[in-house]
Amino acid sequence: MIAPRPQRIELECGPVSALDLALYAAASGDHNPLHLDADVARAAGFERPVVHGMLTMAFCGRLLTSHFGVAALRSLSVRFLGAATRGDRIVLRGTVTGVDKEGVVTYELAGHNDAGKELVAGSARVSAPTHKAAR
Amino acid sequence: MIDSGHIGFTTQPSTIAVDPWRVQLFCQAIGEADPIYRDESAARDAGHPACPVPPTFLRAIEADHCSAAEILKILGIPVASVLHAEQSFEYHAPVHVGDRIEVTRTLTDSYDKRDGALTFIVLDSHFRREGETVCDSRQIIVVRNPKE
Repeated sequence: MIAPRPQRIELECGPVSALDLALYAAASGDHNPLHLDADVARAAGFERPVVHGMLTMAFCGRLLTSHFGVAALRSLSVRFLGAATRGDRIVLRGTVTGVDKEGVVTYELAGHNDAGKELVAGSARVSAPTHKAAR
Repeated sequence: MIDSGHIGFTTQPSTIAVDPWRVQLFCQAIGEADPIYRDESAARDAGHPACPVPPTFLRAIEADHCSAAEILKILGIPVASVLHAEQSFEYHAPVHVGDRIEVTRTLTDSYDKRDGALTFIVLDSHFRREGETVCDSRQIIVVRNPKE
């Protein structure tokens, strides 16, 4: 018996530290000082350095891979709605919105920080579970 | 509004190796602790032929090839005036540590909204391994134009 894909999934990440932002800058090649330098962030109207949108999207990736494994992911798509800042916890949620003929499940994704601010909205498609699928 | 002559601009392909150290750093940055991304035997035990990469890792390969900042420089747009509006990935085949990935990026489209206050730029990336497409991705950037 193969367990069906769950209706709802959730993952909490962070709090995002200055070290996380520096590591992400180095790993991703995005060295925009808005993410690293408090003065630059303040000049742009943010109280603290801004979390890379792509780091929040990477957390969306973890939401999916932690439940289904990386090999099951067919697509991942997000719109960036708001910026998280250093120190935020980020909560990602996925809700099933459909299943196609091949059993590929579509999840609607939403991400918020701990103050309830919307950060991302999007969707992902995940393959049907199989016995031999890679985790 | 960008010069419409830039639409269709495509980068020269370059080939970038998926470096184990880079994948490890990326995992550390995103809080990904699963050993399959760094330990080949853990990856094999989980059914992978080699260590896989996290779903958004190809952005790092893309930045090595030609970052959005470099494309904005060609367009004469200051980086400080842009925001990342959307990002998507379509996965066709798994990518593993040690793979050599050929990357190209194309400026597919650009359009204005709010009477020209905002310009959207659509960048498509294609990732291939030995001629096979492994992933297509799309980045949409929004430029906040200065008021006339």
